[in-house]
Amino acid sequence: MKESLLEILCCPLDKHDLELEDAEYATDDDGDETDEIVAGVLVCSECGERYPIEDGIPNLLPPDMREETPA
Amino acid sequence: MKGQEWYQADDVAEEYDDKRFSQGGQLIDRREKAAVLEAIMPVEDRNILEIACGTGRFSVMLAEQGADVVGLDISAAMLQQGRKKAQNVELEGTLEFLRGDAGRLPFPDDHFDTVVAMRFFHLADDPKAFLEEMRRVSREQIVFDTFNRFSSRSIYNWALPMGSRLYSKSEVAVLLAKTNLTLVDVEDDFIVPYGFYRSIPNVLASPIRTIDETIGKLPVTDHLASVSYWNTRVR
Repeated sequence: MKESLLEILCCPLDKHDLELEDAEYATDDDGDETDEIVAGVLVCSECGERYPIEDGIPNLLPPDMREETPA
Repeated sequence: MKGQEWYQADDVAEEYDDKRFSQGGQLIDRREKAAVLEAIMPVEDRNILEIACGTGRFSVMLAEQGADVVGLDISAAMLQQGRKKAQNVELEGTLEFLRGDAGRLPFPDDHFDTVVAMRFFHLADDPKAFLEEMRRVSREQIVFDTFNRFSSRSIYNWALPMGSRLYSKSEVAVLLAKTNLTLVDVEDDFIVPYGFYRSIPNVLASPIRTIDETIGKLPVTDHLASVSYWNTRVR
Protein backbone atom coordinates (compact mmCIF):
# COMPACT_ATOMS: atom_id res chain seq x y z
CA MET A 1 0.00 0.00 0.00
CA LYS A 2 1.05 3.60 -0.64
CA GLU A 3 1.64 5.67 2.47
CA SER A 4 -1.02 8.11 1.25
CA LEU A 5 -3.73 5.45 1.71
CA LEU A 6 -3.27 5.98 5.46
CA GLU A 7 -4.95 9.36 5.16
CA ILE A 8 -8.27 7.79 4.22
CA LEU A 9 -8.20 4.56 6.21
CA CYS A 10 -9.90 4.38 9.58
CA CYS A 11 -10.78 1.71 12.12
CA PRO A 12 -13.66 -0.42 10.77
CA LEU A 13 -15.09 -0.70 14.27
CA ASP A 14 -15.18 2.88 15.59
CA LYS A 15 -13.96 4.88 12.51
CA HIS A 16 -11.14 6.55 14.43
CA ASP A 17 -7.74 7.31 12.89
CA LEU A 18 -5.10 4.62 12.50
CA GLU A 19 -1.43 4.98 13.34
CA LEU A 20 1.29 3.15 11.47
CA GLU A 21 3.78 1.08 13.50
CA ASP A 22 6.79 -1.06 12.53
CA ALA A 23 6.56 0.04 8.91
CA GLU A 24 8.76 -1.58 6.28
CA TYR A 25 9.07 0.22 2.98
CA ALA A 26 9.84 -1.19 -0.44
CA THR A 27 13.08 -0.04 -2.03
CA ASP A 28 13.62 1.10 -5.60
CA ASP A 29 16.40 -0.02 -7.98
CA ASP A 30 18.91 2.32 -6.28
CA GLY A 31 18.12 0.84 -2.89
CA ASP A 32 16.26 3.95 -1.72
CA GLU A 33 13.06 3.65 0.26
CA THR A 34 9.84 4.33 -1.65
CA ASP A 35 6.45 5.38 -0.25
CA GLU A 36 5.19 1.81 -0.76
CA ILE A 37 4.63 0.05 2.58
CA VAL A 38 5.11 -3.72 2.41
CA ALA A 39 4.69 -4.63 6.08
CA GLY A 40 3.65 -3.06 9.36
CA VAL A 41 0.73 -2.66 11.71
CA LEU A 42 -2.10 -0.13 11.72
CA VAL A 43 -3.25 0.66 15.24
CA CYS A 44 -6.51 2.37 16.12
CA SER A 45 -5.86 5.55 18.10
CA GLU A 46 -9.08 5.01 20.06
CA CYS A 47 -9.71 1.30 20.71
CA GLY A 48 -6.13 0.06 20.18
CA GLU A 49 -7.18 -2.68 17.74
CA ARG A 50 -4.26 -3.77 15.53
CA TYR A 51 -4.57 -4.36 11.79
CA PRO A 52 -1.62 -6.00 10.02
CA ILE A 53 -0.24 -5.09 6.60
CA GLU A 54 0.41 -8.44 4.89
CA ASP A 55 2.43 -8.66 1.66
CA GLY A 56 1.71 -5.00 0.99
CA ILE A 57 -2.04 -5.35 1.49
CA PRO A 58 -3.55 -3.91 4.68
CA ASN A 59 -5.93 -6.29 6.41
CA LEU A 60 -8.77 -4.17 7.79
CA LEU A 61 -11.04 -7.12 8.52
CA PRO A 62 -12.60 -6.69 11.97
CA PRO A 63 -11.07 -9.15 14.50
CA ASP A 64 -14.17 -11.37 14.56
CA MET A 65 -13.77 -12.11 10.86
CA ARG A 66 -10.02 -12.57 10.87
CA GLU A 67 -9.84 -16.05 12.42
CA GLU A 68 -12.25 -17.60 9.95
CA THR A 69 -10.45 -16.04 7.03
CA PRO A 70 -6.78 -16.98 6.92
CA ALA A 71 -4.65 -15.08 4.37
CA MET B 1 -21.68 -14.14 3.72
CA LYS B 2 -22.09 -16.74 1.02
CA GLY B 3 -18.99 -17.86 -0.82
CA GLN B 4 -16.74 -16.58 1.93
CA GLU B 5 -14.58 -19.69 1.96
CA TRP B 6 -14.89 -20.59 -1.69
CA TYR B 7 -13.40 -17.30 -2.90
CA GLN B 8 -10.51 -17.47 -0.40
CA ALA B 9 -8.91 -20.62 -1.76
CA ASP B 10 -5.66 -19.92 -3.65
CA ASP B 11 -6.49 -22.26 -6.51
CA VAL B 12 -9.91 -20.67 -6.98
CA ALA B 13 -8.32 -17.20 -7.05
CA GLU B 14 -5.59 -18.21 -9.50
CA GLU B 15 -8.02 -19.78 -11.93
CA TYR B 16 -10.82 -17.30 -11.38
CA ASP B 17 -10.27 -15.00 -14.36
CA ASP B 18 -9.39 -17.79 -16.78
CA LYS B 19 -12.33 -19.87 -15.79
CA ARG B 20 -14.89 -17.10 -15.65
CA PHE B 21 -13.88 -14.82 -18.44
CA SER B 22 -12.39 -16.87 -21.22
CA GLN B 23 -14.49 -18.22 -24.09
CA GLY B 24 -18.12 -17.13 -23.86
CA GLY B 25 -17.24 -15.45 -20.59
CA GLN B 26 -15.49 -12.67 -22.56
CA LEU B 27 -18.88 -11.47 -23.73
CA ILE B 28 -20.03 -11.17 -20.14
CA ASP B 29 -16.79 -9.45 -19.12
CA ARG B 30 -17.16 -6.87 -21.88
CA ARG B 31 -20.84 -6.28 -21.16
CA GLU B 32 -20.26 -5.80 -17.44
CA LYS B 33 -17.34 -3.44 -17.99
CA ALA B 34 -19.41 -1.41 -20.45
CA ALA B 35 -22.24 -1.17 -17.91
CA VAL B 36 -19.89 0.10 -15.21
CA LEU B 37 -18.11 2.61 -17.46
CA GLU B 38 -21.34 3.92 -18.91
CA ALA B 39 -22.79 4.49 -15.45
CA ILE B 40 -19.73 6.30 -14.09
CA MET B 41 -18.39 8.23 -17.12
CA PRO B 42 -16.35 10.38 -17.08
CA VAL B 43 -14.19 8.35 -14.69
CA GLU B 44 -11.15 10.62 -14.79
CA ASP B 45 -10.11 11.89 -11.34
CA ARG B 46 -13.10 10.28 -9.68
CA ASN B 47 -12.65 8.76 -6.25
CA ILE B 48 -14.02 5.24 -6.55
CA LEU B 49 -14.40 2.39 -4.08
CA GLU B 50 -15.03 -1.08 -5.44
CA ILE B 51 -16.63 -3.52 -3.01
CA ALA B 52 -15.79 -7.21 -3.50
CA CYS B 53 -13.28 -6.25 -6.20
CA GLY B 54 -11.91 -9.80 -6.37
CA THR B 55 -9.12 -9.97 -8.94
CA GLY B 56 -9.66 -6.31 -9.77
CA ARG B 57 -11.42 -6.62 -13.12
CA PHE B 58 -13.25 -3.30 -12.67
CA SER B 59 -10.77 -1.62 -10.31
CA VAL B 60 -7.89 -2.02 -12.78
CA MET B 61 -10.01 -0.88 -15.72
CA LEU B 62 -11.15 2.25 -13.85
CA ALA B 63 -7.62 3.14 -12.69
CA GLU B 64 -6.36 2.62 -16.25
CA GLN B 65 -8.84 5.24 -17.34
CA GLY B 66 -7.72 7.80 -14.79
CA ALA B 67 -9.83 7.17 -11.69
CA ASP B 68 -8.37 6.97 -8.18
CA VAL B 69 -9.56 3.57 -7.06
CA VAL B 70 -9.61 1.58 -3.84
CA GLY B 71 -10.45 -2.10 -4.29
CA LEU B 72 -11.75 -3.95 -1.23
CA ASP B 73 -12.22 -7.67 -0.88
CA ILE B 74 -12.36 -10.27 1.86
CA SER B 75 -9.94 -12.60 0.08
CA ALA B 76 -6.17 -12.02 0.18
CA ALA B 77 -5.68 -14.59 -2.59
CA MET B 78 -7.97 -12.70 -4.99
CA LEU B 79 -6.34 -9.35 -4.13
CA GLN B 80 -2.85 -10.68 -4.86
CA GLN B 81 -4.11 -11.63 -8.33
CA GLY B 82 -5.38 -8.06 -8.68
CA ARG B 83 -2.01 -6.60 -7.68
CA LYS B 84 -0.25 -8.74 -10.28
CA LYS B 85 -2.70 -7.59 -12.92
CA ALA B 86 -2.17 -3.94 -11.99
CA GLN B 87 1.62 -4.26 -12.28
CA ASN B 88 1.31 -5.24 -15.93
CA VAL B 89 -0.69 -2.25 -17.10
CA GLU B 90 -0.22 1.50 -17.33
CA LEU B 91 -2.44 3.28 -14.80
CA GLU B 92 -3.56 6.85 -15.49
CA GLY B 93 -5.03 7.07 -12.00
CA THR B 94 -4.13 5.34 -8.74
CA LEU B 95 -5.08 1.94 -7.35
CA GLU B 96 -4.88 0.48 -3.86
CA PHE B 97 -6.12 -2.90 -2.67
CA LEU B 98 -7.12 -3.84 0.85
CA ARG B 99 -8.88 -6.57 2.80
CA GLY B 100 -12.00 -5.60 4.60
CA ASP B 101 -15.60 -6.34 5.50
CA ALA B 102 -18.19 -4.73 3.21
CA GLY B 103 -20.48 -4.39 6.22
CA ARG B 104 -17.93 -2.40 8.25
CA LEU B 105 -15.92 -0.28 5.84
CA PRO B 106 -12.68 1.29 7.10
CA PHE B 107 -13.43 4.72 5.60
CA PRO B 108 -14.97 7.94 6.89
CA ASP B 109 -18.45 9.11 5.81
CA ASP B 110 -18.91 10.53 2.30
CA HIS B 111 -15.36 9.81 1.24
CA PHE B 112 -15.88 8.43 -2.27
CA ASP B 113 -17.63 9.91 -5.32
CA THR B 114 -18.75 6.49 -6.46
CA VAL B 115 -19.06 3.06 -4.87
CA VAL B 116 -19.21 0.07 -7.23
CA ALA B 117 -20.36 -3.42 -6.23
CA MET B 118 -20.54 -5.90 -9.10
CA ARG B 119 -21.37 -9.57 -8.53
CA PHE B 120 -21.77 -8.74 -4.88
CA PHE B 121 -25.43 -8.62 -3.93
CA HIS B 122 -26.12 -12.19 -4.94
CA LEU B 123 -23.77 -13.17 -2.09
CA ALA B 124 -25.16 -10.72 0.47
CA ASP B 125 -27.12 -12.17 3.37
CA ASP B 126 -28.31 -8.74 4.53
CA PRO B 127 -28.49 -6.54 1.40
CA LYS B 128 -30.00 -3.54 3.18
CA ALA B 129 -27.20 -3.34 5.75
CA PHE B 130 -24.54 -3.58 3.04
CA LEU B 131 -26.22 -0.96 0.86
CA GLU B 132 -26.52 1.39 3.85
CA GLU B 133 -22.82 1.02 4.57
CA MET B 134 -21.97 1.76 0.93
CA ARG B 135 -24.17 4.81 1.06
CA ARG B 136 -22.41 6.01 4.20
CA VAL B 137 -19.07 6.25 2.41
CA SER B 138 -20.45 7.53 -0.92
CA ARG B 139 -21.02 11.21 -1.67
CA GLU B 140 -22.75 10.78 -4.96
CA GLN B 141 -23.27 7.47 -6.65
CA ILE B 142 -23.66 3.73 -6.13
CA VAL B 143 -23.48 1.26 -9.03
CA PHE B 144 -24.30 -2.43 -8.63
CA ASP B 145 -25.87 -5.43 -10.31
CA THR B 146 -28.38 -8.05 -9.26
CA PHE B 147 -29.30 -11.47 -10.59
CA ASN B 148 -33.00 -11.63 -11.17
CA ARG B 149 -35.66 -13.83 -9.77
CA PHE B 150 -38.20 -15.14 -12.29
CA SER B 151 -35.53 -15.58 -14.95
CA SER B 152 -33.55 -18.41 -16.49
CA ARG B 153 -31.08 -17.72 -13.67
CA SER B 154 -33.45 -19.43 -11.24
CA ILE B 155 -32.91 -22.75 -12.97
CA TYR B 156 -29.15 -22.53 -13.23
CA ASN B 157 -28.74 -21.24 -9.72
CA TRP B 158 -28.84 -24.47 -7.74
CA ALA B 159 -25.60 -25.70 -9.33
CA LEU B 160 -23.39 -22.87 -8.07
CA PRO B 161 -20.71 -23.64 -5.47
CA MET B 162 -21.23 -20.35 -3.61
CA GLY B 163 -25.03 -20.23 -3.71
CA SER B 164 -26.74 -17.13 -4.95
CA ARG B 165 -29.41 -14.69 -3.93
CA LEU B 166 -31.89 -13.57 -6.57
CA TYR B 167 -33.83 -10.31 -6.54
CA SER B 168 -37.05 -9.08 -8.09
CA LYS B 169 -37.21 -5.53 -9.42
CA SER B 170 -39.61 -4.46 -6.71
CA GLU B 171 -37.34 -5.80 -3.98
CA VAL B 172 -34.51 -3.62 -5.27
CA ALA B 173 -36.85 -0.61 -5.59
CA VAL B 174 -37.80 -1.01 -1.92
CA LEU B 175 -34.13 -1.35 -0.95
CA LEU B 176 -33.29 1.89 -2.77
CA ALA B 177 -36.15 3.74 -1.11
CA LYS B 178 -35.16 2.50 2.34
CA THR B 179 -31.55 3.60 1.88
CA ASN B 180 -32.41 6.99 0.38
CA LEU B 181 -31.06 6.26 -3.07
CA THR B 182 -32.55 7.58 -6.30
CA LEU B 183 -32.63 5.35 -9.34
CA VAL B 184 -30.89 7.00 -12.29
CA ASP B 185 -30.97 4.07 -14.67
CA VAL B 186 -31.44 0.33 -14.76
CA GLU B 187 -30.42 -1.92 -17.64
CA ASP B 188 -31.47 -5.52 -18.08
CA ASP B 189 -29.54 -8.07 -20.01
CA PHE B 190 -28.72 -11.72 -20.64
CA ILE B 191 -31.83 -13.77 -21.07
CA VAL B 192 -29.52 -16.76 -21.22
CA PRO B 193 -27.67 -16.97 -17.87
CA TYR B 194 -23.92 -16.33 -17.51
CA GLY B 195 -23.09 -19.97 -16.78
CA PHE B 196 -24.39 -20.99 -20.17
CA TYR B 197 -22.03 -18.63 -21.99
CA ARG B 198 -19.08 -19.97 -20.07
CA SER B 199 -19.88 -23.55 -20.94
CA ILE B 200 -20.19 -23.19 -24.70
CA PRO B 201 -17.39 -22.90 -27.27
CA ASN B 202 -16.44 -19.46 -28.58
CA VAL B 203 -17.85 -20.06 -32.05
CA LEU B 204 -21.31 -20.48 -30.58
CA ALA B 205 -21.11 -17.74 -27.96
CA SER B 206 -21.35 -14.80 -30.37
CA PRO B 207 -24.29 -16.05 -32.45
CA ILE B 208 -26.26 -16.99 -29.36
CA ARG B 209 -25.45 -13.61 -27.83
CA THR B 210 -26.83 -11.95 -30.97
CA ILE B 211 -30.09 -13.82 -30.58
CA ASP B 212 -30.10 -12.98 -26.86
CA GLU B 213 -29.64 -9.26 -27.63
CA THR B 214 -32.31 -9.29 -30.31
CA ILE B 215 -34.89 -10.95 -28.08
CA GLY B 216 -33.79 -8.70 -25.24
CA LYS B 217 -34.76 -5.61 -27.23
CA LEU B 218 -38.41 -6.63 -27.34
CA PRO B 219 -40.23 -4.82 -24.55
CA VAL B 220 -42.19 -7.88 -23.44
CA THR B 221 -39.05 -9.79 -22.57
CA ASP B 222 -37.74 -7.26 -20.08
CA HIS B 223 -38.69 -9.32 -17.06
CA LEU B 224 -36.97 -12.41 -18.48
CA ALA B 225 -33.52 -10.85 -18.23
CA SER B 226 -31.23 -12.64 -15.80
CA VAL B 227 -29.11 -9.61 -14.84
CA SER B 228 -29.89 -5.98 -14.01
CA TYR B 229 -27.32 -3.18 -13.79
CA TRP B 230 -28.39 -0.44 -11.36
CA ASN B 231 -27.11 3.14 -11.42
CA THR B 232 -28.24 5.08 -8.33
CA ARG B 233 -27.63 8.49 -6.84
CA VAL B 234 -27.30 9.45 -3.19
CA ARG B 235 -30.23 11.65 -2.18
